[in-house]
Amino acid sequence: MSRPEAVRLRAPLERVSPRARLMWTCTDLLRCVPPMALLLLGDGPWDWFDLPTWSLVGVGVLFAAYGVLVPQWRYLVHRWEVTETAVYTQTGWWARERRIAPMSRVQTVDHREGAISRLFGLATVRVTTASSAGALSIEGLDRDRALVIVDELTRMADSVPGDAT
Amino acid sequence: MSDWSRLDPRMLLVHPVRDLVKFLPALVGIVVFGRSSEGGGWWGVAGVGIPILLGLARYLTTTYRITAGRIEVRHALLNRRVLSAPLDRVRTVDLTASPIQRLLGLVTVRIGTGQTAGHGEERLALDGLSVAAATALRERLLHVTTPADTTSAPTTGGPRVVLTLDLAWVRFAPLTSAGIVIAGAALGAAAQTIRTLELTPSVDLDPLAHLGLALLVVGGVIGVLVTICVLAVVGYLVTNFGFQLSHTATDGSWHLRRGLFTTRETSLDDARVSGVSIGEPLALRLAGGARLSAIVTGLDRKQQGSSVLVPPAPRAEVDRVAGDVLGTSRPVTALLVEHGPRARRRRWIRALFPATALALAALLTAYAVAWELPFVAVVAVLLVAGAVLLARDRAGGLGHALVDDHLVARSGSLDRRREVLHTPSVIGWNLRATWFQRRVGLTDLVATTAGGRQRVRVLDVDEAAATLLAVRATPSLLDQFLA
Repeated sequence: MSRPEAVRLRAPLERVSPRARLMWTCTDLLRCVPPMALLLLGDGPWDWFDLPTWSLVGVGVLFAAYGVLVPQWRYLVHRWEVTETAVYTQTGWWARERRIAPMSRVQTVDHREGAISRLFGLATVRVTTASSAGALSIEGLDRDRALVIVDELTRMADSVPGDAT
Repeated sequence: MSDWSRLDPRMLLVHPVRDLVKFLPALVGIVVFGRSSEGGGWWGVAGVGIPILLGLARYLTTTYRITAGRIEVRHALLNRRVLSAPLDRVRTVDLTASPIQRLLGLVTVRIGTGQTAGHGEERLALDGLSVAAATALRERLLHVTTPADTTSAPTTGGPRVVLTLDLAWVRFAPLTSAGIVIAGAALGAAAQTIRTLELTPSVDLDPLAHLGLALLVVGGVIGVLVTICVLAVVGYLVTNFGFQLSHTATDGSWHLRRGLFTTRETSLDDARVSGVSIGEPLALRLAGGARLSAIVTGLDRKQQGSSVLVPPAPRAEVDRVAGDVLGTSRPVTALLVEHGPRARRRRWIRALFPATALALAALLTAYAVAWELPFVAVVAVLLVAGAVLLARDRAGGLGHALVDDHLVARSGSLDRRREVLHTPSVIGWNLRATWFQRRVGLTDLVATTAGGRQRVRVLDVDEAAATLLAVRATPSLLDQFLA
């Protein structure tokens, strides 16, 4: 296939809040707690199975690495940008996903704060379009910053007439 | 039509029958109970009277009107509620008629507005209008959405028939999964009935015993296959009998009529048809067949029944209708840009790796526990061979194009689809690449849209080619984000 002229998308300009790393570490580690507890309890007090200690330690190290390293990786990937005509986000770590929605197709703009993100003063901005495959969300924004972005997005999306389909 | 209109009075004959069926278990109880006690006659009167009263109440309390650019349907049986939708949001109008309704010249009108917020809520439906009233309502509903284009319409007025069903196409029915689905449903229903009625079917196996295992297995398989084929053919006929697709230029809409017992007439607003999806699953493709559905803005997969354009039929017919619906046949026939060796290699690895791993694991296990090694080996070889064929087909299917303002994408093998989407209906782009894909410079490009499967996916395409495709499809959107 002939090499097309080199058009390349650049990454969105803005990073999320640095505190997002800590929040992701918390949520990722919390996610590791139930399986780890099951392994430890099953091996020890409940006596379901008999695993060698080194394998338990290995799993623990893997989980810890997941909780510590993946948030850092994710922080490097997660970026966002809002312009007059479009919203552009980049998320993920292993699988990187870039999503672009024209401002004229934006239907709703949500501001969300989960229990853990509130501890860190962070919030998520979620932008939906008429396609269920097209929602964009920016996780780990500073709460005040998120509120400003929501206002701005709502104003810009409202200024375009039509039913956004 | 700003006054409230009622349903057709003839619905009073339909609803009691249907309600009677619904009340049947209760009625049986009433009859049995009523006979054995005094005053049984009153129970019988109530059993017949309540459904009739309910029907009457529904007739008296259901009204609809078109006013100030909205369609409003008001029910006030117990809870008063008004369902309404702006006329310019009406995507589809469905007229269905069950056998009883057909006898009386009635139809049920369902209005599809396709609001994403409307999930789980009732669709606007009017159960029991006369055919004339329903047709008039449909014209009013669809007329407003696209103002009559008097300049370019050829002013013939009457509908132009694009496709009528050829009964020979029924040969494609066994090649779809429909037969298996129907058989599964029938089996489930039968099992349920047997369990509910606490029947214990006794099958006398003695006469079969002397036939031998091989003959029984072969006979059983053939029996199941024949049953599935017959069910598929019957299902195809019941749904698609009398299938006719036509287009009216005056109100700019597609009309589709089908059904053997219950007839269904669907009207799609031209302006809402944003593309088509040509389904060519493996078995159908090998037999030279395909099927076609429309991508209708505002209708998602759950309402896909409203968007069928061609049931399983010869490929040439499907292509012709697709070209007609799109207004240009080039997106349907154009050669697709292939995705190159890197994309092909990914298809191969993704098919072969799991199959080979599974085959090896099975072989090792069989060897370790010394169980039927030759049998397991044959299965393992078949598994890998199947994966090879699948990978070959999937790799060969990859392709995309941008022709006449239409984005075309093809992928898949067992469920291969060629999807064609009008670029103004693209409402966003997703570019997803895993670490493996980034390593070789590939990405999945997804155009999101408000209809059909909500997305058209170009699988494993060169990153620069994907960007260029998106830039060309939606000019000025991506320019600001280019490096």
